[in-house]
Amino acid sequence: MALVLVVVSVLIFAMVRITPSDPIASMTGGKAVSEETKQELRVQFHLDKSPVEQYFIWISGIFHGTLGESYQYRQEVGSLIQQRIGTTLGLVALSGVLAIAIAIPVGVISAVKMNTWVDKLLSILTLIFVASPVFLTAIVLMLVFANYLQLFPPFGTGEGLWDSLYHMVLPSVALALNMVALTSRITRTTMIEQLNSDYIRTATAKGLPRRRVIITYALKNALIPVITVASIQIGATLVGAVLVESVFAMGGLGDLLISGIKAADYPVVQGVTLLMVFVFLCINLVVDILYAVLDPRIRMK
Amino acid sequence: MFSAFIGHGPLYRSKKKHYGRLFTPAVTVAFVVLVVIVAACALAPVIAPYDPDVNDLYNRLAPPSAEHWFGCDQNGRDLFSRVLFGGRTALLSAIGVVAISMIVGIPLGLASGYYGGFVDTAIMRCCDVLLSFPSLLLAFIFVAGLGRNTFNAVLALGIVYVPMLTRLTRSLTLVEKNKVYVAACDSLGYSDLRIMYRHILPNCISTILVQITLDIAYAILDMASLSFLGLGTQPPQADWGSMLDEGRAVLLMNPLLSLIPGLVIVVVVVALNIFSDGLHQYLDQSQTALPSFRKYERKYLKKRKEGVPSGKPA
Repeated sequence: MALVLVVVSVLIFAMVRITPSDPIASMTGGKAVSEETKQELRVQFHLDKSPVEQYFIWISGIFHGTLGESYQYRQEVGSLIQQRIGTTLGLVALSGVLAIAIAIPVGVISAVKMNTWVDKLLSILTLIFVASPVFLTAIVLMLVFANYLQLFPPFGTGEGLWDSLYHMVLPSVALALNMVALTSRITRTTMIEQLNSDYIRTATAKGLPRRRVIITYALKNALIPVITVASIQIGATLVGAVLVESVFAMGGLGDLLISGIKAADYPVVQGVTLLMVFVFLCINLVVDILYAVLDPRIRMK
Repeated sequence: MFSAFIGHGPLYRSKKKHYGRLFTPAVTVAFVVLVVIVAACALAPVIAPYDPDVNDLYNRLAPPSAEHWFGCDQNGRDLFSRVLFGGRTALLSAIGVVAISMIVGIPLGLASGYYGGFVDTAIMRCCDVLLSFPSLLLAFIFVAGLGRNTFNAVLALGIVYVPMLTRLTRSLTLVEKNKVYVAACDSLGYSDLRIMYRHILPNCISTILVQITLDIAYAILDMASLSFLGLGTQPPQADWGSMLDEGRAVLLMNPLLSLIPGLVIVVVVVALNIFSDGLHQYLDQSQTALPSFRKYERKYLKKRKEGVPSGKPA
């Protein structure tokens, strides 16, 4: 993982600077400045050095607890991230929990009631949510629940714990619905596979209650592919959060990233991207551990 | 994945050998919808009643009417025409994304699977690095580096889609590589390239095809996401994603401006999903009986019957 992070950091650095654009304009806010000031800014932000040197300044900064200074905000990227990370991670965590809490029951129900009208209805619904881009879901939810029914606030992040959670309901539902769709389909497929296997017939023949057969026998064995898909989906949620934050004007990491990209604010783009990759890799690590918890065969290796 | 909806029957229960039709009712509907939308977008200059980029300030935010079927946006541009022209951008760029990922991904996957060893390791490690970025994030930084426009967004997404296609092709190649016909080709002294492209690839192509139809659907969604964030197609050029973004400013006054482009995206993606799934089911069931092969078989058997009247066709 450490090696991957190093390679990723090089890649991020190289990609962001692939075309030699002059970030001076974003520092000065587009105002005309004298050549001397420009030169001073270049020195201040190490832009006068070679790209390789710049890379090592950036990387060694990370080990000293700094991600560099933003060109447009003139602030530590680390502190910029700190102000906003709560919103984004909260959104991702809340929608992840919601999605799994909805997706697994939905998948199990449609597997158990395979090819009945319940299954078909759930199929159509999930198909629509797969196809609906997350920002469209968000806009529709905002229109219906915030503007017509006025149940939830249409934008902002809120103050304090409960108010923030209240503001996060709609955005995280929008994110979760997208995740629910794919995860529940996978749950359905693997559950059907498990329900048709021999050990389930044995368990039923022994006279175990249907509920117990489905939940403790079939579902436990069906979970591994479900977790694989869910983890990829949570990774996608990190990016989905960028879109949803934009719809609900939440000012999280996504907002920072997009404004950074538009203003050629290299330190911000590099910092936020590296952080997101790091979070994604951590999620993958947790998933690997979960595999071992769920499947004794993997534990043996 | 959505077989319950398509009505091909149970996924795992039946092992009966039956050759399904490709055009089940749901697939037919999906196909017709796709053809209509693609044709409408392709013929946009002929069909569209108005120029998509001309402002008409008398008709700002006009509601749907006989003259303007979907109404007008905040600059008085006809929404129906813009949806048609936006579809050209959206569909063409999605096809571009998939084309790039095919041109790069399939050869890499074939090489990786066929040669193995160092080549395989090198290619797979590169894929791992690209896949350690969560979905669109890689496209974001590509666009950040290259500059924000439609072409760069297509290029960026194309690269994002490469590793998945490479992995798929590689895994299919690994299976095919060990089959007897490859050994036969090898013993005939065919070159590696010839074996890979003339013999292995045609045997993998059906699975790849299913993936590609699905990838086009995802590419439409991802392109719309990029344009929505202002990283893809730039206004005033019409594109489904950027239209959704533009409509957001006047969401409460005329929600249709965002909802209609969104709805079109949903319809196209649903249709592509159903079509891809139908294709998957069909190809899965009739691995040995693809239409072209059946035709060949019939011709071949007919010849044999004529030649050997008493022989029972194999």
